Amino acid sequence: MTKLVRVIDMERCMGCRSCIAVCFTENHITPDAPWNVMIEHEVGQYPYGRTVFATMNCMHCEDAPCMRACDAIGVKAISKNEFGVVLVDYDKCIGCQYCSAVCPYGVPQYNKTVNSLYPEDETPYESLSAADRHPTHRKKANVVEKCTFCWHKLEKAVADGKTDRIGQDPQYTPSCDLVCPVNARLFGDIDDPHSAVSKYIGEKKAGQLKKEYGTRPQVYYVLQGGDF
Amino acid sequence: MKITRRDFLKVSGGISAVARVGVPFSAIAASAKQAKAAEPMKQGKGVETRYVKSTCCHCVNFCGIEVKMENDVITTIYPDKERAPYYNVGICPKGVSGIFNTYNPYRVKKPLKRTNPNKGLNEDPKWVEISWEEAFDEISGRLKKIKAEDPNKLIWQHGHGEYLIGDKFPKAFAKAFGTKNLVHRTTTCEAARHVADEITWGYHGFLPDLEHCNLLLNFGANYYEGEQFSRWLDHATVDGQERGMKVIVIEPRQSHCAAKANEWIPIRPGKDIVLILGMARLMIEQGHYDEDFLVRYTNAPNLVGGNGEFIRDDKGNPMVWDSVSNSAKAYAEGVKPTLNGEFDVGGKKANTAFKLFADSIADVTPEYVEDTSGVSAKTVVRLTKELVDAAQIGATVVKDGHKLRYRPVAVHTFRGMAAKEFGTQNWRSGLVIQMLLGNIDAVGGINLHSVYKQPKYFEPSKAEYPPKRVDLQESVFFPHATHNVAQQVALTMNNPKDFGMKYEPEMQIFYATNRPFSTSDTKAQFESLKKTYNVVIEIVMTELAEMADIVLPDLTYLESWHLSPTRYTPSSKHTAIRQPMTNAYNIPHDAYSILWELAKRLDIRDEYIKHINKNWGLKTYPLEAGKDYSARDATEHLWLEKTKGKEFDYALKHGFKGKHLAVKDTYLKGVEAKFNGPGKPKMNFYAEQLVGSLKNITKQVKANKISKSKINLDYYALALNPLPKKDHAFPAPHKEATDFPFYLITYKRMYRNQAGNTALNPILNMLGGDTDTNFILINRAAAEKAGINNGDELVIETRVGKVQGPAKLTEGIRPDTVAVSYHYGHQSKDFPEYAKKGIWINTVLELHPDVVSGMNSFNDTKCKVYKA
Repeated sequence: MTKLVRVIDMERCMGCRSCIAVCFTENHITPDAPWNVMIEHEVGQYPYGRTVFATMNCMHCEDAPCMRACDAIGVKAISKNEFGVVLVDYDKCIGCQYCSAVCPYGVPQYNKTVNSLYPEDETPYESLSAADRHPTHRKKANVVEKCTFCWHKLEKAVADGKTDRIGQDPQYTPSCDLVCPVNARLFGDIDDPHSAVSKYIGEKKAGQLKKEYGTRPQVYYVLQGGDF
Repeated sequence: MKITRRDFLKVSGGISAVARVGVPFSAIAASAKQAKAAEPMKQGKGVETRYVKSTCCHCVNFCGIEVKMENDVITTIYPDKERAPYYNVGICPKGVSGIFNTYNPYRVKKPLKRTNPNKGLNEDPKWVEISWEEAFDEISGRLKKIKAEDPNKLIWQHGHGEYLIGDKFPKAFAKAFGTKNLVHRTTTCEAARHVADEITWGYHGFLPDLEHCNLLLNFGANYYEGEQFSRWLDHATVDGQERGMKVIVIEPRQSHCAAKANEWIPIRPGKDIVLILGMARLMIEQGHYDEDFLVRYTNAPNLVGGNGEFIRDDKGNPMVWDSVSNSAKAYAEGVKPTLNGEFDVGGKKANTAFKLFADSIADVTPEYVEDTSGVSAKTVVRLTKELVDAAQIGATVVKDGHKLRYRPVAVHTFRGMAAKEFGTQNWRSGLVIQMLLGNIDAVGGINLHSVYKQPKYFEPSKAEYPPKRVDLQESVFFPHATHNVAQQVALTMNNPKDFGMKYEPEMQIFYATNRPFSTSDTKAQFESLKKTYNVVIEIVMTELAEMADIVLPDLTYLESWHLSPTRYTPSSKHTAIRQPMTNAYNIPHDAYSILWELAKRLDIRDEYIKHINKNWGLKTYPLEAGKDYSARDATEHLWLEKTKGKEFDYALKHGFKGKHLAVKDTYLKGVEAKFNGPGKPKMNFYAEQLVGSLKNITKQVKANKISKSKINLDYYALALNPLPKKDHAFPAPHKEATDFPFYLITYKRMYRNQAGNTALNPILNMLGGDTDTNFILINRAAAEKAGINNGDELVIETRVGKVQGPAKLTEGIRPDTVAVSYHYGHQSKDFPEYAKKGIWINTVLELHPDVVSGMNSFNDTKCKVYKA
């Protein structure tokens, strides 16, 4: 089996937000619904107080409360595939936001409108036809969006028979994990005990956030400043 | 504090209410279930994807990038992973968002001509579009007239333009045209650091040897957010910390560097030099310094006479006190210089430079440091011990068969110590303490770049008068300003006779700079632009463009060719190109072709080519007279020359060619080769040439009857002191603005530059709720004491003016200091409101430039802070 996970090393992260920026460009951001955010906050008091930098995207939980909620009301717009990637089907989503309400991590974002990036004009970047976009990038108003682990790239790895290159080749790796200036992010298969993510999780004692909810996230953190 | 993710989800920026129609799409869940099938989901009529390797030019890091093009549209920018072993492993948010540096409806797309002769930020220029032909006709017509009268009446100014096509093309054009007035921006960046380097070791630029360093003292460098070499310093520092290197950041505001450091020491603004001198005093008092390094590599043992100059032998060589013969001699084979002492030389008393330094800092006790800088005496003592212990003075290590000095400590700075009234002296103190440590070019120390490349930097300034250049570079006013004096052009223009100018410039061409917006006390900057005919080459309508007579569009770094500048590391270097991926608005010219066209119309093309070949060192692949070269042609010639003939196809495919340096190239080509031992020049522990410069200035002042209000010799004597001293910690506002209780400092954020294009970038404006504007950082306890809450509108009042903005309470700043980032609050009439948000802090900063280097003083102002 292949179970894809992300590791975010907060000890290394220096708060630049490149991972956020590239998520926006890679995934055709709709400003109401960012898929990746930086939670920048202070701990302690002057002169010892310090700023903590924590980036956060979808946890792609093994037991995803968002999917449970969606299933429970019969909408079934949220699914989890065999790689562990949790996805929202915009065509099925009815915009009820129950998923947002139940997610302990505040991940699903309700997209009220689909706006152009500049009020004044549409750029060539935005003019790529909807049909030519990956379905996860065909944005709609009044639905919920969230991080897909850059499924359009993982899907390509599957199609190319290159799942072993996920997390290693840029074209098969989520973009936020590619741009980090300080190598604070890794992505790969935790079912492979010798993968980089498996080693990193053990060696640097990475853990999941808010374990008390029993969601079993597929994003691991080398924590600095405690759970958030 | 309760933090919720949703607190951080507010996204602002230029977002319209124009909704676009969503389109149906296939069921993702179904496709996910079929994910192992061979075919990816159908994506409409098909997307052709390709990748282009190039070099980012959003800032001065020049990171390797790999750009994804879908149907010939730039859709994502990634770091080029091939470049990682040589420089950047990732890229910053500006680099990621560079797509919208190019795809920006606010780009200047056609030449514009002003029809309202009145200039000012409040005036409507009443632009009309004109053809390129008309623009070239008008500009070249004016240039011809100026060239015939006095070519110096043309000023060429560039900022970031230096990096877009390199300064060697503009310099070649200026030379061919005949003007001396070409001005870059370095005095608004870090020029004082460079000048301190040059005065001390004959060139500029250094990096900590982070692969081997165990203790890094960072005085206000902010390489996690933005400055030269950031994209190597960032990962190399994090790797170093994982290896066990301790990082101590000393600065008034907690930058991202300090946030991630092992220790943050919040020092009072401007007082770094006092801390360094206090540490040096303890090291000397306790005998913890590298005597061998000081004797063999520096002029610390040189004997100094009562006039402040070295005592010399008949041949003019400086003398030391030889402990073998017990006499004064030049340092030659067999001579053992004495480092510390006072001696009788020919009946006159002479001290070693080292002793003068030790005596000059005798009163910089830990208690004095505490009183002045706010760093406790206990911390000063502890920090000194940590530094000395980590330095392992006397240790050596063998690498690749070479026995090398091992001093795994480094002191680093950038604008933190440089952007000050006495910036040169501030960083001189950093170099002096590192000479005491002996860590220069040692394994784990600081690695110098091109040591003693320019021996002329060891000479006194001629202090010319009248000034030849309008920026007064290397004149009696700024004797060692070797990096131009960007902010001075405007001040000279406003009152040319005050500075003895023999001519008055008539025309300025600005290339990719927003100079008047980016310097202190901005009112005078804008005033000066009313006096000249101004041409601005830019991608967006900056504040400077609003003061233009003609604005010419430029191509962006993703649309144009160039042999890119690159950054080295202590162990690697590389050559890179930039190549165009698109031309979003079908603009036919960039600065390169504009210069070429002007050279042709002025009939100086072949002279221009001659100087291009000279400036770029094109010997094997020169440009030929009589021919025209496109930007691509020129880039190919430069690539071939710099890579010794590596085929250009390789550049197109890989974007760069890199090289890892041998151990000897990293550690043995610098001070070891140039300064070590008898009979060689020495690092200037004592900058004797400054004494000579002061003599020349004094002569000029007397000969030309320059008034004390223009040049106060006592003040110049302080600024040009051959040794850094505690008095250099007191810029004018600290001494004079006694009714202004707060120190006001500025800083850079990751998401902006001052040029203006980033203010229009929708991605950069929405990286959280706080990136589209700035705020007044104020210490939480100090604010609460004054009844100030988060978000309260505050006024910052200085001796120059007032600005207003919201308070942001933080634990990350000293209680006596407020900080505002310096690249918000745009004023351009052609910018939308969302790009104008924030505080334009430069407009209330006092300007007291470092008269040695010409460096702008950004961090010396004092202010009052109160509720609006």
